[in-house]
Amino acid sequence: MPGWISRLTLNQKLAGAALLLGAAALFASPYPGSKVTLDAKELSLIVASEADHVEAPELAAWIIEGRGDYRLVDLRTPAEFDRYHIPTAQNIPMSVLTDAGLGRQETLVLYSEGGIHSAQAWMLLRAQGYTAVYMLKGGLDEWNDQVVFPVIADNPTPEQRARDERLRSIAVFFGGQPRSAAATAGAAAASVAAPAAMPAAPKVVAPPSASGAAKPAAKKKKEGC
Amino acid sequence: MAMMAPLLKYGVFGDEASLVVAFLIGIGFGFFLERAGFGSARKLVSQFYLNDLAVFKVMFTAIVTAMLGVTYLGWLGWLDLSLVYLVPTYLMPQVVGGLILGVGFVVGGYCPGTSVAATATGRVDGLIYVLGIFAGMFAFAELYPLLKGFYLSGSGEAMTLPGTFGLPYGVVVFAVVLMAVGGFYGAGLLEKKFAAAGE
Repeated sequence: MPGWISRLTLNQKLAGAALLLGAAALFASPYPGSKVTLDAKELSLIVASEADHVEAPELAAWIIEGRGDYRLVDLRTPAEFDRYHIPTAQNIPMSVLTDAGLGRQETLVLYSEGGIHSAQAWMLLRAQGYTAVYMLKGGLDEWNDQVVFPVIADNPTPEQRARDERLRSIAVFFGGQPRSAAATAGAAAASVAAPAAMPAAPKVVAPPSASGAAKPAAKKKKEGC
Repeated sequence: MAMMAPLLKYGVFGDEASLVVAFLIGIGFGFFLERAGFGSARKLVSQFYLNDLAVFKVMFTAIVTAMLGVTYLGWLGWLDLSLVYLVPTYLMPQVVGGLILGVGFVVGGYCPGTSVAATATGRVDGLIYVLGIFAGMFAFAELYPLLKGFYLSGSGEAMTLPGTFGLPYGVVVFAVVLMAVGGFYGAGLLEKKFAAAGE
């Protein structure tokens, strides 16, 4: 070790090390660039195992429980969003999705009218390194069919009755009502007509995190010092 | 896949375990504050008399150490920086809040963390400071409806130095290191100059 280094105090050596590391950092960007690698194998496994989506009744339960650890994203246009949206949803149209400042750590649940746009958005976000992205299976169509206007049996068995009661209370919670199986059997049009008669979105208090910053409220950050 | 950080975001441990981790980190933080002498209000306020800038040096050293650590861990691919939580920026409210905290620091002789460390070692002034913190929190909560408009004014987006100044990340890192080393050198000069005046 050269003499001049051993003559330095420990603090001076540490400062020198910091300067060296700082200078080297000029060439060491910690952020990955804009080019991404898509792990096709991983994604195809996720899709195959159906771990990429949330079913409508599951989402309904989350909303009723008031869970605040995910962000529900409506990918449709603002006009469509204004006409009806799932309570607690936030409108981020497909066209501005990648500029919306979504956190890569956030749990995102995407939905669109059917399933196509949300599936495309899912792939887009996964490719950009968003790790916890899910889509609402079947989109708004299935949401309407299974949650807002669920089909219940006409002559329910006792087991069916309990299930139907639960479906009814969930439907009412979301401002809809159950349909009888007989009425829907003949008229496939019922589900087509449903959006025209969409209920006014019920007043569900959005969890604070859904509208606010990029983080569930449960995880408060503490400042230093 | 190798273990990646942030550990919580990658599910190495869950929310419940994270409380244990936070507890251990907090204990460690308090321990080192106390070991650095920051459990004493005399030590802390002497930086305002410019005859002992240990607080400035320790805190800035912590910033530089953490910054270099984060930079290189990110560069090596062990830390996904995009998953690290950034506090939302509400610039004006945070400037005002910082000034209030600074006034409290000068008047009370502690900042929040050090007051807890002081209380843990049985210092009465630290305990009174902690009670003051809780009184302030209570008052803030009661006045929140009035303050809310200002409290949340601003974009609420997380601002970063590279983003705000449009500089590459590494340039900011280097600039902060230069600032720190320059600051330490300047602090040493100030300490020499004011050592006599403080006696």
